[in-house]
Amino acid sequence: MKHHPEIDKYAGLSSPIHNWDPRAKLIAILSLIIAIVLIPDLEIALVGLAIALTLALISRIPFSFMLKHMMWVIMFIAPLFVIVSLTPSGGIEHASLIAVKALAAVILIFPMIGTMRFDTTVKALERLKIPSKLVQMIMFAYRYIFVFSGEFQRMFTSLTSRGFRKRTNIYTLSTTGKLIGMLFVRSLDRSERVFSAMVSRGYDGNLKTLVEFEMHTADVLKAAILIAIAVALDLICFTVV
Amino acid sequence: MEMAISITDLSYTYHDGTPALKGVSLDISRGESIGVIGPNGAGKTTLLLHLNGILMSENGKVKILGKETRKENLKGIRRDVGLVFQDPDDQLFMPTVFDDVAFGPINMGCAQEEVRERVAQALEWVGMEGCEQRSPQHLSIGEKRRIAIATILSMSPQILVIDEPTANLDPRAKWELTVLLRGLSMTRIVASHDLEMVAALCERTIVLDNGKIVADDATPIIMSNTVLLQRHGLAPASGIIEPRDRGPLLNR
Repeated sequence: MKHHPEIDKYAGLSSPIHNWDPRAKLIAILSLIIAIVLIPDLEIALVGLAIALTLALISRIPFSFMLKHMMWVIMFIAPLFVIVSLTPSGGIEHASLIAVKALAAVILIFPMIGTMRFDTTVKALERLKIPSKLVQMIMFAYRYIFVFSGEFQRMFTSLTSRGFRKRTNIYTLSTTGKLIGMLFVRSLDRSERVFSAMVSRGYDGNLKTLVEFEMHTADVLKAAILIAIAVALDLICFTVV
Repeated sequence: MEMAISITDLSYTYHDGTPALKGVSLDISRGESIGVIGPNGAGKTTLLLHLNGILMSENGKVKILGKETRKENLKGIRRDVGLVFQDPDDQLFMPTVFDDVAFGPINMGCAQEEVRERVAQALEWVGMEGCEQRSPQHLSIGEKRRIAIATILSMSPQILVIDEPTANLDPRAKWELTVLLRGLSMTRIVASHDLEMVAALCERTIVLDNGKIVADDATPIIMSNTVLLQRHGLAPASGIIEPRDRGPLLNR
């Protein structure tokens, strides 16, 4: 089976974060992410990182899974860390601050959207009155990323079976470029067919789904606690310092 | 009796100037089951896309249950005509099976309870009960096709139009699907070049080639007319195919 970027692989687990109302969860953890990004102080940022790790731990999502997906982020943060720590206006402390905040924010993604099926996330966004066009874009991106990656893999297999090898040369680059170009052309054709299929079933610009989200006291309480922590993290910095 | 579908002198040319349909006229009564066969590029899909107004031509008339396919009638027509596209990945665009089968009924304005009933009923018809929460990317091609049909059945259309329902299916899945389609009672139009399936499913068959209807008769009569089928690329040409010398490149 092909590898798919399935962020919701562990949505079936059970934890206090899994059974949290999706809307409350999205708002609360997003507030926490924003609060952590705003922290100007390294020590408080480390507290933020600790909170992020705690939430990840509560969510029961295996750390190996998170690490695998975070490799790309780490590859991005690591050079940034080196560069910033070497600049006169930066320094090690400033570089650490950026790295710690970035890590904390990325870790929080997992309890936020890794603890529910992606379609639930999309429906929660819809219920939170995020503009419908944006929600539809996210939904279709998720639905068709699998179709397109399958198509790309088939095209690549076809190249490989006719003797193509990836090398560091212009030929490889131009071939890959053409492949990506073909993928764009195919996706354009597909998007037209999908649109026809949607219109055939009465699509009028709005996607409608049936979902029942129920907000209980516990959901609100969890959200209140997390948002309070978020606010506190920033307040400490801006009052004490 | 009012015709289910009445097409008069329909012609259609694509933007790039390629003619796809050239003066097609066709009447289909209610309850009929019609096969539209023809080689690749004959215009089968283009014809089907005219049946619910996805394509609308200046030349010719298409009437569905007495209503012409014009902008003001489209909403009703799309409710009456259920169109199943060839590639289930085009047909199934929602994140879960439930959402997909519910898409049509919700757009029709059904109440929540009714939507749920329709989804349950449609999934039962195609034998896919219990799959509501699965995602399309985790379904096999045969399952996807069944769900694609369910997405249309949940709208209870009077006319069911299916494009190549058996493409890419193995024989077992193909026959299961044929049995399923046979069990439906509405007017059916099936476009395909799978003659076995059309013979098992349709009373009447239309041969389309190069944008024109070249034959329209009872299915057994069409299927036994080997010369007709050969002429339009639907049966192998007679005579034994002799191996030919194709030069040094292929004679290693």
